[in-house]
Amino acid sequence: MIQRLLPFFTLIALFIILSIASPNFLTATNLSSVVRQTAVINIMALGMTVVIIAGGIDLSVGSILALAGLLGAMTMEHNGIAMGLIAGLIIGGACGMANGLMTTGLRINPFIVTLGTMGIYRGLALIISKGLPVHEIPPSFSYLGEGTLLGVPFVLWILLLCAATVHVILEHTRLGRYAFSIGSNPEAAFYAGVPVRFHTTAVYTLAGLLTGLAGMIEASRLMTGQPTSGQGYELTAIAAVVIGGGSLRGGEGSVLGTLVGAFIMGLLANGSDLLGTNPYWQQVIIGAVIILAVAFDEMRKRRS
Amino acid sequence: MLLQLKNIRKRFGGVTALRDANLEVAAGEVHLLMGENGAGKSTLMKIVSGMLAPDSGELVWQGRSVHFRNPAEAASHGIAMVHQESLLAPHLTVAENIFLGREPRRAFGLIHRGQMLERAARIIEEHRFPLEAGWRVDKLSPAGKQMVEICRAIQQGSSLLIFDEPTSSLSSAETEEVFRIVRALRARNMGVIYITHRLEELRSIGDRVTVLRDGETVHSGALRAISADQLIRHMVGREVSTIYTRPALPPGEELLGVQNVTRAPVLHDITFSLRAGEIVGMAGLIGAGRTELCRALFGVDAIDRGSIHCAGQVLRVRSPRDAVRAGIALIPEDRQRAGLAAGLPVGHNLTMPALAAVSRFGFLNRAAESRAARDLTARFRIRAESAAQLAGRLSGGNQQKVVIAKWLLARSRVFLFDEPTRGIDVAAKLEVFQVMDELARRGAAVLMVSSEMAELLQVADRILVMRQGRISGELPGRTTAEAILRYAAFQSSAAAAGDQAG
Repeated sequence: MIQRLLPFFTLIALFIILSIASPNFLTATNLSSVVRQTAVINIMALGMTVVIIAGGIDLSVGSILALAGLLGAMTMEHNGIAMGLIAGLIIGGACGMANGLMTTGLRINPFIVTLGTMGIYRGLALIISKGLPVHEIPPSFSYLGEGTLLGVPFVLWILLLCAATVHVILEHTRLGRYAFSIGSNPEAAFYAGVPVRFHTTAVYTLAGLLTGLAGMIEASRLMTGQPTSGQGYELTAIAAVVIGGGSLRGGEGSVLGTLVGAFIMGLLANGSDLLGTNPYWQQVIIGAVIILAVAFDEMRKRRS
Repeated sequence: MLLQLKNIRKRFGGVTALRDANLEVAAGEVHLLMGENGAGKSTLMKIVSGMLAPDSGELVWQGRSVHFRNPAEAASHGIAMVHQESLLAPHLTVAENIFLGREPRRAFGLIHRGQMLERAARIIEEHRFPLEAGWRVDKLSPAGKQMVEICRAIQQGSSLLIFDEPTSSLSSAETEEVFRIVRALRARNMGVIYITHRLEELRSIGDRVTVLRDGETVHSGALRAISADQLIRHMVGREVSTIYTRPALPPGEELLGVQNVTRAPVLHDITFSLRAGEIVGMAGLIGAGRTELCRALFGVDAIDRGSIHCAGQVLRVRSPRDAVRAGIALIPEDRQRAGLAAGLPVGHNLTMPALAAVSRFGFLNRAAESRAARDLTARFRIRAESAAQLAGRLSGGNQQKVVIAKWLLARSRVFLFDEPTRGIDVAAKLEVFQVMDELARRGAAVLMVSSEMAELLQVADRILVMRQGRISGELPGRTTAEAILRYAAFQSSAAAAGDQAG
């Protein structure tokens, strides 16, 4: 049990160390910026958690983020913020659903399907925008990513709402239970009459939807629709899930673990900035943390 | 003598696979090794080919006592095995497979491809194998793959070749071809050990025969001197244990009707029915199509022809989901792979097929779910710390009970048990029998596929026998193992007609 909580303790230790090491860490401004910086990855990682629990993987979320953010911003130009938000969510959900339909319909490994759509969605974003960012966004849209509600960043409320929703889905709905079943043993799930294809598709759709939301937050923070945004985010999201105890073999993972995983990486990046660590070393440190986290987790599983 | 095995013993945990196995094989003979499933034939051959070490006993090879530590050592002594499930590299060519690990080399360790092809072609030509050195192995038929393994053995200079049920997946023409090659090998003074279940093919191939029963050699001698009846008696033994007996129930309404179900080439015109309160046994040799039948009835594999109906209503079973809805449950042969989510809690496994029963509008009623899980764990006496324990941590027998119990919540009425007692201990077996009996008493129909004839005789009300994808006979529950074996192994069913009365 203590080892299961290792990521949690790591996060707390990191928090304490940074509080002592840097006078600028434990300030409202800095903590708010950590939250804002990690919110986008966090929300994507929540969707990735469900996908990974169901034994899948989604490499295309970085591209979905860009496509949804771009089209959302373009819609906003003429039809207002609400329509833009809805468009971003729908685009995200549709991209995710397409991933799910191809995985289940063509029976292709999701790694390959989403490797393909990673290129397709990114290419579509570049084609539609002709490679240029969209700037004509209503100024009030910046509230989504940069606003404050009840003293904390607005995105924190969104993140908590998403986390609570995904937690309820995983632990209290049939969709969540089937995700665990399919990920743990797809054959046993199929033999038990679980509608494997439907729920696999639903899981990818959910991940796309959350990524669409993350794309709108990213667009709000940058106040542009960027066809090139989100590159490499898919790997950071996967890393957050894995540090938080998710298994790429499927059947394991939790919302709390993923949040902790994403915040560990967020604090590492923030801490390196504050302490003036060479940014090139940041990548080395985060890479090492991913490997160590999974190594400890595997050790724990083998022993029990 | 080429090979002598003396008083071989081998235990796996608490199970004795071999208690006193003896076997002598001479050069230039085809020696048949026979016995029921689980008699220890495969274990004995794994010992000969170096895959397993015996606990005690002696292995004498060409007059010298030997201990093989691995298959490579056995191969270097000249012992080779042709496997039932091909152990070849499917993406490589015939020649590459023949020389795998022993490729002819050129300077700098490069493979001498030309020489390899030429030498492979020579072996193929000399024995008139229907192969080409350059063909890819995954394009070959099962028979072709076996021939590649035989070529490999010849290339290694083997003097003893072991065939493990080589013809179980072959057509009759292919079988003839294998026989021709086996005879050719014998003519070159090689020793051949040949494992088979098919009584009708013995005479055309074997010289001597050794029969194993419960890990013991019970007969060894010339094939000419023994009749088929005597062989069967040796294989089955006289004593059929009577640990479990089940009073038959008066059968009720028909719950499942199967008519002319065909799935080429594994199932042909299968017709039978299951009634409430019945336990129907399904006997047959490995590869007779019993598992395929269960898969087809459960909607895993599509059927070409025929119909499945329930209470006069035709069922369209195109997926396990349809089957589950129609009240059919499958307890698969390979529990670990297809029956159990080992990484999930026992409780989640128990409610998986009937999650709708404990949820509303897609939301789980966790309290109702735990109640259902607790109820099932208690009713099936599943020994788990709690419903939250991971299913993979349970013992084999308890895992089996989880795989059965989960169907109760789904209100299944037709239970297909595929080899339910494989790999579980005697006590757990009895509990599984009791569960089947209880299911029948509560009005379910049970189909029990088993290769353990003694178990079928104890549990089943009547016994269907399958042979090469067809139902070759139906026998009353109180029949004999000899009668079952006749239907399972012989071509003509007329020979056994007399047994139906007894």
